[in-house]
Amino acid sequence: MTVLLAFDLLLAASIVGLAAATLLMRDAFAMIVAFIVFGMLMALGWARLVAPDVALAEVAIGAGLSGALLLRTLAHLRGGSLSAQGGASVSAPANGATQGVNALLAGLATCALGLAYLGAPQNVPGLEAHVADAMPESGVTHPVTAVLLNFRAYDTLMEVVVLLAAVIVVWQVERGLAETPAPALGTVYQGFARVALPVAVIAGGYLLWIGAEAPGGAFQAGAVLGAVAVLGLLSRHVRPAPAHRPLARGAFVVGTAVFALVALGVAGAGRVAFEYPPAQAKTLILLIEAMVTISIAATLAALFHGRAPVAVSREETDR
Amino acid sequence: MPEFAPDPMTLAILLPLFGAIAAFLAPRAAPLIGLGAVGAMAAAIAAVGHAVAQAGTVTVPLGGWGAPLGIELRADGLALAMLGLTALIALAVGLGALSAFAGEAPADGQPMPRQRAFFWPLCLLLLTGMNGVYLSADLFNLYVMLEVISLAAVGLAVLGGTVAALRAGLAYMYASLLGALMVLLGVGFVYLQTGRLDFAGLAGAQGSPALSAAFALMLVGLALKAALFPLHFWLPEAHANATAPASALLSALVVKAGLYILLRLAEAGPFPGEAILTLLGVLGTGAVLWGGVQALRAERLKLLVAWSTVAQIGLIFVALARAGTEGLSDSWRAAALLILAHAVAKAGMFLAAGRIKDVIGHDRISELDRSAVRPALAQLAFALAAISLIGLPPSLGFIGKWSLMEGAMGAGNWHWIAVTMAGTLLSVAYFSRALTGFLRFDRVRAPLDEHRGWALADAPPVVLAGLAVGLGLAAGPILAVLDLGRPFGVTP
Repeated sequence: MTVLLAFDLLLAASIVGLAAATLLMRDAFAMIVAFIVFGMLMALGWARLVAPDVALAEVAIGAGLSGALLLRTLAHLRGGSLSAQGGASVSAPANGATQGVNALLAGLATCALGLAYLGAPQNVPGLEAHVADAMPESGVTHPVTAVLLNFRAYDTLMEVVVLLAAVIVVWQVERGLAETPAPALGTVYQGFARVALPVAVIAGGYLLWIGAEAPGGAFQAGAVLGAVAVLGLLSRHVRPAPAHRPLARGAFVVGTAVFALVALGVAGAGRVAFEYPPAQAKTLILLIEAMVTISIAATLAALFHGRAPVAVSREETDR
Repeated sequence: MPEFAPDPMTLAILLPLFGAIAAFLAPRAAPLIGLGAVGAMAAAIAAVGHAVAQAGTVTVPLGGWGAPLGIELRADGLALAMLGLTALIALAVGLGALSAFAGEAPADGQPMPRQRAFFWPLCLLLLTGMNGVYLSADLFNLYVMLEVISLAAVGLAVLGGTVAALRAGLAYMYASLLGALMVLLGVGFVYLQTGRLDFAGLAGAQGSPALSAAFALMLVGLALKAALFPLHFWLPEAHANATAPASALLSALVVKAGLYILLRLAEAGPFPGEAILTLLGVLGTGAVLWGGVQALRAERLKLLVAWSTVAQIGLIFVALARAGTEGLSDSWRAAALLILAHAVAKAGMFLAAGRIKDVIGHDRISELDRSAVRPALAQLAFALAAISLIGLPPSLGFIGKWSLMEGAMGAGNWHWIAVTMAGTLLSVAYFSRALTGFLRFDRVRAPLDEHRGWALADAPPVVLAGLAVGLGLAAGPILAVLDLGRPFGVTP
């Protein structure tokens, strides 16, 4: 027990320390790297809190893909390289007054958080009992999946809609900049990609399938497959071109569309929307999850690419 | 259980979603798909209205689970009024967008076909989120809906593609995400303390300092979303730099989401106390004065209209705060009336301002009177909308302000009356700046070119502004609709 306690204390201290370090750094690259490590430790923290689903999502999206997005943006700001020569270091805070007001507001919010947490009555029963009661009718055996895809499927549908909205917004922003390809990587990386990509595809499919009975599911699987697509973009195996737009649009919307169609389709004959017939519940949930996985993977890859595919001239492609 | 299958409430949320998907897949047909989806949504809302008129309050347990395990949709008179308002504004703004995005590329912005193609998916996603907020009876679901609205609204704000719009849009996004995050923290702590997320669970909760702290977090987040002074800093630039149809949606609908959730929380929970209400009123007073002064100083017409939004939102908070003789269970009506009045008038006003800018070529207030070209109908629409926002009879704005002041008098809260009066005088002053520009001709150096024929683009602002004035005559039926299902549990 003491070993675990020591580990937990060390973990908590590292998380807080890394958060502070991330905020205090002045070089954006170092900041992002610290943030990625912070995400990894957060995932460990979630695992220690016995929330493996959250841990998986945190490590895949919070640390992995967010980090990739941040690094891509930094490379864009610094004209293709990650070194600090191109400028774009983190600017110093504007002035004392702004800092003071921010500190005051953040302090008030922290006080409210502390009060809300410390003053909360202990051991208020949540909805666990309700979830346990309804599990047999949910079609799956993993409670998190049952909540996400059945009991509160409406929320999950709208979260997928948020992703769709995000990619639409990114596509509609035309920045009038030339296409800057992601930094090309060396031969070692090419070899790594050849080994890692097939394995990652299998891992993504496994996470999707296992979600019905164990931690995993559409978001985690989508993140892993999205990472595969990012690796493909980085290794230039995938070169987005205008001709890909219709396919990409289809991939973005398929999750939302199938989810909403199933939700409406099951209504009728005394059933309301989202009320899956228990006999078909597992099939429908897996169908929805598979389609949502495709959408999430495509959306994350498109966010990494950062814009609607445009025609790229030959020199730029070969650079 | 509803006899419809699928029920109209779900359809009111999902039809715009399907429209958004179709409009995104087929960009060329986007305007047609968009208007069709808005029409279908209006039909679903009419069906919701029928059900609410029959039963008062209708609920749908999505997934068949029912609260607290599942999520319920709930509609009553207040929700119905907001749904109807949203359908009306979406229809009018959609028609306005047809012509606003029909032209060729402007010098400094995005090509028009791109704007036309992307306006509709974003607009329809926004409608999905708005309808979802009105019909939600679950705290976490409200947070998710706020996120849908945030992203769609940011997309609309930067649709113009100018550097100013992008910069303002980025600030808007940060403010919006921060607000949503505060709401999420609050929701989490409410769940920690009550073990439930549905409104019904909230009603039975014991008030405690910890619960108040959780509510305070949500309140700050919602105030940021609703641009309550001094958290309004993101609004003027974001609304003034967006294209006109987008500004109309942002100003008329998006800021109302925060206000609506605030009303719902006040209805459901052991919150807010008298002190919090007074604080909201004081901040609202700040908004009325500061927004008014800034509108007086604005150099561009759209910026003036955007600052007037800050002031009008402040007035709605004053309406909430005045806590009439029976407290919130009375004063919510004045707030709801002001929300409706402001939405209709401001949508018309932004469309009119956009039209004026398109025809004259600029929207600098000091040079409005130099223009030989006068878009007469758009200027008429602007003036009508101003009448409602100022609160002259018989407009809907007048009914709202009257109901506010009547309640404040009844409760003996004369200070709120003084605030309302000051706001009214300020609004007369700042709208006069634009109106004198419309009416003066002595600085025109060229032959007047006043009438260039009617255009379809003139219809939506004129209709909306006309409604903003004319709906005041229908105040009785509107109040009857608001009271359907007795929100706040009080018989009128």
